[in-house]
Amino acid sequence: MNVAIIILTLSIGAYFIAIIEGWAMHGRISISRPALSALALFGRESLLARTPDRLFFESGPILLLVVGILSMAVIPLAPGLIITDLATGALFLNAALAYVLVALIMAGWGPNGGYAMIGGWRFLGQFIAYAMLIVMPITAVAMRAESLSTTIIVTSQSELWNIFYQPIGFVLFVLAAMALAWLPPLDLPNAPSDLAGGFEAEYTGARLAVLRLARMVIILAMAGAIVTFYLGGWLGPWLPAWLWSVIKMLVVTTLMLTTGRLVPRVRESDLLAAGWKLGIPLALANIFLVGVIALVVDI
Amino acid sequence: MTGSYAELFFLIFFGVAAIWFGIVVFRTHSMVRSALALLFSQTAIGAMFLVMQAEFLGVLQIMMMATEMSVMALFMVMFMMDPGGMGAMDMSHQKRLSLRAGGIGLIAALAVSWLPDWGPVANSIPDASRQVELLGIELLGRSMFVFESAGLTILTSMIAATMVAIAPRKIGEDT
Repeated sequence: MNVAIIILTLSIGAYFIAIIEGWAMHGRISISRPALSALALFGRESLLARTPDRLFFESGPILLLVVGILSMAVIPLAPGLIITDLATGALFLNAALAYVLVALIMAGWGPNGGYAMIGGWRFLGQFIAYAMLIVMPITAVAMRAESLSTTIIVTSQSELWNIFYQPIGFVLFVLAAMALAWLPPLDLPNAPSDLAGGFEAEYTGARLAVLRLARMVIILAMAGAIVTFYLGGWLGPWLPAWLWSVIKMLVVTTLMLTTGRLVPRVRESDLLAAGWKLGIPLALANIFLVGVIALVVDI
Repeated sequence: MTGSYAELFFLIFFGVAAIWFGIVVFRTHSMVRSALALLFSQTAIGAMFLVMQAEFLGVLQIMMMATEMSVMALFMVMFMMDPGGMGAMDMSHQKRLSLRAGGIGLIAALAVSWLPDWGPVANSIPDASRQVELLGIELLGRSMFVFESAGLTILTSMIAATMVAIAPRKIGEDT
């Protein structure tokens, strides 16, 4: 039952993301556009590049989709409304999301094309820039909750949401989440204007539809992670718990999809420099501060 | 012996998968395929941890290997003369030496698993959240020195490797 509800939420959420992304790109809100373009993709011929690595070419998009769904499995939408409440939920989320990198390298290497390959390896560089900024803020969150379970992390925020308790970690985690879901201005692996679609360049038809759907699911999972770790998950007055989760996730996705488009794309070297010279010291400072606060104040 | 036949079945299944992917590493010609086969071999070992109800270790293994093997794939593509395997390069070399080394390794592994007295098998397994706690206490207690010195060694070798890789140049020379 839980699985059915969460898959339904996932589908509606992914569709919503497609609408918002269309709005951010074309300036008009169209409810029917994602459905129509998905239909169009399925109607088109699925081209195969010359001498591809067929195994990677076919399995890359599917692995990406599986990873997105797996990472949603530990996001609680309401008390009890979670696919699997693992004792190591926060770590499991990390583990699942690490395979986004593997899937993109497979999708980039598979089609035997220049743009695609550069896109795939670019994401490896991007991963090295953002990976620590996913793990270290989660460490601070787990320190406060004294648990890796995502439901306990949500209930630990009943007094004060983590966005106020550890604002540095929140900012770093949101930026890292945007890098993980390759949202503008950090859309280096597909970079429509300078890589002609990057790892997506050689995908057409149904395979491209799977790739795009997988990315929507990953954006949704990242919004779910931000809500769970920093915005108190399902906690909130008056409305039912699941509705709070949904509202918060929709607001976070909308902000993630729209605000980034206002800044120019970041260069790979700049991203790496910022991640390591600024991001990691800040993340370490965040862990230290949270440790001190957790020892001194009892909330 | 705790655990059911289903557990035993999955343990054997993932064990065989790990070995099979390990063989694929040397049977393929493509560097990326080779690196990712090693990744899936290690992932299968992570799945074995999960079957043995060591949840934290399993998830950690599965997480760490994704990054490490991807970085390794990048280096293999950079340094090998035929990364795509289009020229059907042979991945196996020094066969006699590798056979001997593998044989000695196998004997050593079997000896370690059979000869020492491992003590009685645990009757109950602590639940996953307790395991995380116990692991944390172990890492910050008895095993702290071992882990800290290992960490320091890795850091030193990383800095040393970077220093060695930088091409020397004279002072005042333009790059």
